[in-house]
Amino acid sequence: MKREYDVVIVGSGAGGGTVADRLIPLARAGARIAVLEAGPHFTREYFTQREIEMMGLLWHNGAWPVEDGSITLAAGKGVGGSTIMYTGVTFRLPDAVCVEWNVPGITPDELRPRFERLERELNVIEPGEDMVNDNNRLFKEGCDQLGWPVEKIRLNLKDCDQNGFCNLGCTTGGKQGTMELQIPRAVAAGIELVPNCEVDRVNEGSVSATVRPAPAGTVPGPWPPGKAELKARAVVLAAGCPGTTGIMMRSGMDDLPLLGRYITMHPALTVYGIYPRAIKNYRGFPKTYYTPKFSLSHGYYIETAFYYPFISTKHLGLWGQDLKETMKAYTRFMTQIVLNHDPATADNRVVIAKNGALKLRYKIAPETVSSLCHAQAQATRIFFAAGCEQVIMPCADRPIFKAGEVADEKLEQFITPKNFLSVKTPLSSAHPQGGCRMGAGPDHSVTDPLGRVHGRPWLHVADASLFPSSSHVNPYLTIMALAERVAEQVAKALP
Amino acid sequence: MAEVYQLKYLTGRRLKVFLAVADRIVPADAEGPGAGNMATAGVVDWALGRIDPALRSQILMLLIALEFLGVLFGGRPFTRNSAAAQDRELKFLENSPVRVLRLGFFGIKSYACMGYYAREDTWKSMGYEGPLVPDRPFPDDVVRALCQGRIEVVA
Repeated sequence: MKREYDVVIVGSGAGGGTVADRLIPLARAGARIAVLEAGPHFTREYFTQREIEMMGLLWHNGAWPVEDGSITLAAGKGVGGSTIMYTGVTFRLPDAVCVEWNVPGITPDELRPRFERLERELNVIEPGEDMVNDNNRLFKEGCDQLGWPVEKIRLNLKDCDQNGFCNLGCTTGGKQGTMELQIPRAVAAGIELVPNCEVDRVNEGSVSATVRPAPAGTVPGPWPPGKAELKARAVVLAAGCPGTTGIMMRSGMDDLPLLGRYITMHPALTVYGIYPRAIKNYRGFPKTYYTPKFSLSHGYYIETAFYYPFISTKHLGLWGQDLKETMKAYTRFMTQIVLNHDPATADNRVVIAKNGALKLRYKIAPETVSSLCHAQAQATRIFFAAGCEQVIMPCADRPIFKAGEVADEKLEQFITPKNFLSVKTPLSSAHPQGGCRMGAGPDHSVTDPLGRVHGRPWLHVADASLFPSSSHVNPYLTIMALAERVAEQVAKALP
Repeated sequence: MAEVYQLKYLTGRRLKVFLAVADRIVPADAEGPGAGNMATAGVVDWALGRIDPALRSQILMLLIALEFLGVLFGGRPFTRNSAAAQDRELKFLENSPVRVLRLGFFGIKSYACMGYYAREDTWKSMGYEGPLVPDRPFPDDVVRALCQGRIEVVA
């Protein structure tokens, strides 16, 4: 099957969805634009709020480990990309990180109006008190008691019914991901959406892809299953990290020495405390507070969190009687997630395995381990200050311990890197970044500051692959701001 | 929908090993049985059918390896060892200096937990009230029936 387009966008998440949205005027002016999405086109009606049934929303059923198995990656696979299963957590790129990136033309002043505009369009709100469930209220009380700063997490929601199942797909459309906002607008303007279409290679003027049958219960795409060869004047890769890099590697772009390198994972450790009575963290909105207290000093944020039963068993890192007894207290779980600002190093990179599979070769830095251990001690303090009876900390000398069993001043000696064991210590990631870092020239980057791949003016990148180093914060808004810049460049370059 | 679910991957000795391992990962106690039963196996078998065949083969081979490694920890295959010996073996794998053994333990543990904690009778035992759209259909109705115990699982 052969077709011709002016612009082909690969991916429909935060990056691809935004590019499509910003190219609507071009489409209205007659440009032929397609969005190719590797995953299915789910609708709200597909989402059943059951973990095992919703595994298909994620690449590799949500069990995509980095090459050495130390971190499990959760990345959305479907129209909307990872905005299908994110929680709508909205952070602007911190100014200090923007300055540290040192990318010509990308400054806090340049990004600010973009963030402001996007936040208006995306219905970003500061959640009111009616959205604060018990887990979040207790987190705030714990931080307040410790005298630590605690801030509201801003969210992109509209008419949210607070049913708590954001990570399994929003059943009402209250969560304003790209499958709810940008993609429907783009389709209405004549941009073609092709789900189940995985891009194999891109070359100047052409895109090779494979279309697979639509899974049962999902919206079929416009093209029949099989190989698809497209002509395209411009290509925008927004398949995420590591997807975008993988397409470029498979396309033989070996002349880009930094392609695939400097990936960061934003490693996450989810920790649990047990409150004296049921707080049912699975009801109400899962995330409304965080503390930035240790961001500058120790390299992490602590946010509130919620997870379903099976995924909680993975995070707890327990088995046997310890697991069974702990899970009996599921309705009493208080939950926090630590997000580490991991360093970007050239050795952490995307590779293609012999069988063609995409792998993330990532080694956890010792400072990341130290930071995660420090964070567990602080999370423990929050849990106990909030009134929890017991906590579960994977890197403690004894993972389950009760209030008063370990003196507060001894926590840092009780929870230490010597207890960290890769694979056993349950780390996850939902924010992989890098691999196509932007910058001034090919010796230091893969794309220019506008996402154009060096030496290939027809090829653009518009996702978290562009980040030169960790964004420190949940990345979707930053991705959208950068994607907007890319879209402007694409529109300008097309006569 | 069929009246029974016939296991496709957890068969023969692999089933026996899986049931024994699952019962150590989530053991029985005074309040109820552990994870080592056909209801859990049914859910896991369904999930194994949805992963990459190469990965599935590795997981199934691992079960056999686990069985024979039992000799080192209790003198007999895993399924015939005492619970204490079984736990010693699992603890060794969990903390092994060899990364691939830790990965193997993590994989088997994850499947046992998935099979057990996806079941609605388990939800009830821990007070989890489940979805707010409980009757919304899923295209593959077998997994729902397995999780709700509405279909018999046979070897």
